[in-house]
Amino acid sequence: MSDESDHIPPEPPGRPPGPRSPAPMGFFILTLVLLFLAAVYFDHHSGWFNAQVYHPFVNANELEKYQPKSGEAALLARGMATYERVCGVCHGNDGAGKPGQAPPLAGSEWVLENGVNRLTHIPLTGLSGAVDVKGQTWNLSMPAMGAALSDADLAAVLTYIRGSWGNKAGPVTPAQVKAARAAVAGQPPINGLQALKALPE
Amino acid sequence: MKNGFRIFLAALVALGFSWCAFVLAPVLQLGAEKQTTVLNSSDLYPVQRGDFAAQGLQVYRANGCAACHTAQVQQDGVGCDVVLTGMGTNQPADFKAFMKSLCELPDLQNCSDSLSKNLAAWNGALPKILLHGAREADAGKLADKLSAAGLKSEVRIVATGPDIARDWGLRHSVAEDFLWDDPVQLGSVRIGPDLANVGARFPDARWQLLHLYAPQVVVKGSTMPPFRYLFKMEKTRGEPAPDALKLPRELAPPSGYEVVPTDQARELAAYLLSLRAEVPLHDAPFTPPAPAPARPNKP
Repeated sequence: MSDESDHIPPEPPGRPPGPRSPAPMGFFILTLVLLFLAAVYFDHHSGWFNAQVYHPFVNANELEKYQPKSGEAALLARGMATYERVCGVCHGNDGAGKPGQAPPLAGSEWVLENGVNRLTHIPLTGLSGAVDVKGQTWNLSMPAMGAALSDADLAAVLTYIRGSWGNKAGPVTPAQVKAARAAVAGQPPINGLQALKALPE
Repeated sequence: MKNGFRIFLAALVALGFSWCAFVLAPVLQLGAEKQTTVLNSSDLYPVQRGDFAAQGLQVYRANGCAACHTAQVQQDGVGCDVVLTGMGTNQPADFKAFMKSLCELPDLQNCSDSLSKNLAAWNGALPKILLHGAREADAGKLADKLSAAGLKSEVRIVATGPDIARDWGLRHSVAEDFLWDDPVQLGSVRIGPDLANVGARFPDARWQLLHLYAPQVVVKGSTMPPFRYLFKMEKTRGEPAPDALKLPRELAPPSGYEVVPTDQARELAAYLLSLRAEVPLHDAPFTPPAPAPARPNKP
């Protein structure tokens, strides 16, 4: 027994050190690709640690898209969508107008009038000839862009332009649009500043 | 030990990293949670519990309710329901032809299958859900097309998922729901149903008390143990006590006696009634259902 415990086995012959070989390049590339994919996934699904973003929402924008809208907010959202589809091409999505195409709506005295009769007439019949907007004369021609819109859509658009980009005027109701549409049926475009001013406010 | 300093450093880095990830990051993310407003309203949520209901949380905890009940509703997805609410001046026959033409539009090809399936067995009753759980863009397109044809429709945001389908809640639970809970009783096992919205599902305190005393009386086949030690049997003095339990004959106490809840049972019931995660929030949006007549108690 004591013989065995005293016996120290001889050191096994160590493996001779082999030549140092570099780690395979493919491994590094694979790691980088995986890291990249992970970063893309993180970017798309994490909400960037925003405390408001939970699964199944992936980021704050998506969360915003699914906020239920009610009353005024729903009308404004509808107005904005219709405006950007129909009106924004010329008047600009920022309502600033475009030189040679359309006058601004932001801050325009015609948009901000207390009465909405003139404003409602313009998209229903169109407007041509020289008109002053914000101290500048615009001699252009606008077709009856709003004639094809439903009363509710046109009311939403007018409400939107009266309440956006710093404009602070009251809403336009579908009933007002309906009345104006009945009143202007078959009329030619409003021709020039005098004709516009002649309309009841 | 040759490498003592190195081992210390490695341990420090490893522990420090996990501390940052599991303690610091959540505190930065949610540590400043406070009351928030209900969507499209100025009401604050959640409302702080009264002392009685707050004490009920401790009874809930002491009786180990969280061992069998979770209080966290999960949500798999979110979508839009397009609900037809009015036909305007359209005739049913025209409407069918119009919907058929809609199904063939390239704009709506994502949802035309479910649209035609939903319309196949429709008897004309309104309101009718035309699309369920659709993407926001598709729902908007369909609603635009409907309104252009003079039909009245409504787009409703709805949460989807198994928990929602079981009627356990209308949306997922969010951090705000647990703002006044100390300690939070999330639970992780669902031997019983989820309780995140139990106060809205069973708004009757008598029902809650009877259910605690004899679960099988109100929920057939319930596996919940009765919590009878939260109640006491007392001699009826004159009129029966207002919150004495109305028990079926086989469980009823001998005549001249009545079963009344102790303060603990009342606190627990008050706490359960305070669990109402039923309002839409910015981080858990949905369109609240129109106020319906009082919901019947159902399991």
